[in-house]
Amino acid sequence: MTARLLIIALLAMLAATAPARAAPEDEIQPTGIVAALTQDVVEIRSNFTGADFLVYGAVTGLQDGDDIVVVVRGPQEDLRVMRKIRTFGIWINRAPVRFENIYGYYAVASTRALSQFATFSALRREAIGMEHLRLSAPETQREETRFGVGGVVVSELGGEVVDYRRAIVRNRAREGLYVESPGGVEIIDGGLFRAAVRLPPVTPVGEYALDIYLFRDGIPIAQRRTSLAVRKAGLEQAVYDFAHRHSALYGLMAVAIALLSGWGAAEVFRRR
Amino acid sequence: MDIYLPIAEVSVNLFLVLGLGLGVGFLSGMFGVGGGFLMTPILIFIGIPPPVAVATQTNQIVASSASGALAHFRRKSLDLKMGLYLLAGGVFGSFAGVQLFAFLQATGQINLVISLCYVGFLGIIGGLMLVESLSALWRRYRLGKAGMPARPRRRKRGLIDALPFKIRFPVSGLYISLIPVIVIGAMVGVLAALMGVGGGFIMVPAMIYVLRMPTSVVIGTSLFQILFVTALTTFLQAAQNQTVDLVLAALLIAGGVIGAQFGARAGQRVRAEELRIALALMVVAVCLKLAWDLVSDPADMFELMHVMESGS
Repeated sequence: MTARLLIIALLAMLAATAPARAAPEDEIQPTGIVAALTQDVVEIRSNFTGADFLVYGAVTGLQDGDDIVVVVRGPQEDLRVMRKIRTFGIWINRAPVRFENIYGYYAVASTRALSQFATFSALRREAIGMEHLRLSAPETQREETRFGVGGVVVSELGGEVVDYRRAIVRNRAREGLYVESPGGVEIIDGGLFRAAVRLPPVTPVGEYALDIYLFRDGIPIAQRRTSLAVRKAGLEQAVYDFAHRHSALYGLMAVAIALLSGWGAAEVFRRR
Repeated sequence: MDIYLPIAEVSVNLFLVLGLGLGVGFLSGMFGVGGGFLMTPILIFIGIPPPVAVATQTNQIVASSASGALAHFRRKSLDLKMGLYLLAGGVFGSFAGVQLFAFLQATGQINLVISLCYVGFLGIIGGLMLVESLSALWRRYRLGKAGMPARPRRRKRGLIDALPFKIRFPVSGLYISLIPVIVIGAMVGVLAALMGVGGGFIMVPAMIYVLRMPTSVVIGTSLFQILFVTALTTFLQAAQNQTVDLVLAALLIAGGVIGAQFGARAGQRVRAEELRIALALMVVAVCLKLAWDLVSDPADMFELMHVMESGS
């Protein structure tokens, strides 16, 4: 309910600012997006089993046939992807490929299936959708000139790199980290929209960027960015920081706790 | 009720982990084993990352061996000199094991090596135990007809006696080379770091059959060595790899120490052979499960790994 009230407030704000920008052209209503999240910090505490939040906002100048896309991009990291190959009867990880700057979380929600309203090149340029997500392995790539076109990126792996890319998306999707939900953005009425975002229990810690795009005639005509932070808090934060900042002391404490509880339990039970 | 583990970075069911700790603690108290060889694979089965499972389980063994080691120390049923030499080997092995662990983790082969170690050791130990306890049961069954044939044990001069650097161990009544002592200690240290086990299942037979120590001091001496080696390994894993999860460790320790006390009581009321057969079957079952996972077609032919920043 508070979300709805906030949306109304946002819409009022937007209405107040719209005329100023609309002044030069009076035929076409200018487009603009305002958006907010029900929470902009997700805290991982000991009872964390994932989180749900809403992206909501308003679009001015929304016309029939326009579509809204919400993209959530998590912190980037490097990944090593290995293929299992049967060797002497057992499966062994072989053929490592290093992928760089891979999103730890990536979710796309849209009013309809992406291919129904957006052009291939627009999706590719903005890296929207699992097929257009940038998954690059720089160590295996080189640039070539093909058919007179310079700077064509070619992978040394040839077609096999596609298997690796699919494996990344598939593994991440299984954990709920990569999500594509056509129909996930709901246009409530007028220019109001909302989209539910689910963060799974294995959500990585870091800064998340949320991009809201307004698509018309196949291309994005307006964009708005907002952000979200996922961080450990409370005891989880304390233990994690302690383990990483004072590793030696942490190790000593772990040993001390174990010794005391082992000895303590023996003493308690001996008296009985 | 789920609880998020800060180092493992997964959430697990609180009661499941406590229950597992209690169950494995009970078995370890009943059979007089550490329980690491059961707990580490189980932790991996429930989704704890293998490096965290191994390091955290080592921490739990510190707790479970502490009370036993203390009791033997009070009764003086240990060979302190032998224990210290074993420990010297263990320190070396533990250091090497933690480095090896970090290296295997960086090359993406750690899960495979952990599984292979478990399949190998559990297969051998479980198989031998099963054969040994079944034949003991068979002998007891036949006891009515004929008396137990007294097996003459000839003490052969083997390879061990030919090695140099001999030293006297008065408590054990031995005059043997230091080399096998250090090697056994080091091997146990490596196993503690790689597999998250105390290594009692290797050390006790090695002490009896290789070093030929008197059985009265074997358990106390092995507990002494295990306590210090697992304490050192825990410290090294925490300091170097940051893989010890205190929250998980606390749950395992709580379940483990309580379970072990009840297990020890229950163990006194059950007959030894049946107990050993049950344990052997359990060991073989864990081994078969791990072996099956190695050879059966994996759910996904690719595996994703985080790239570790070196020198952190």
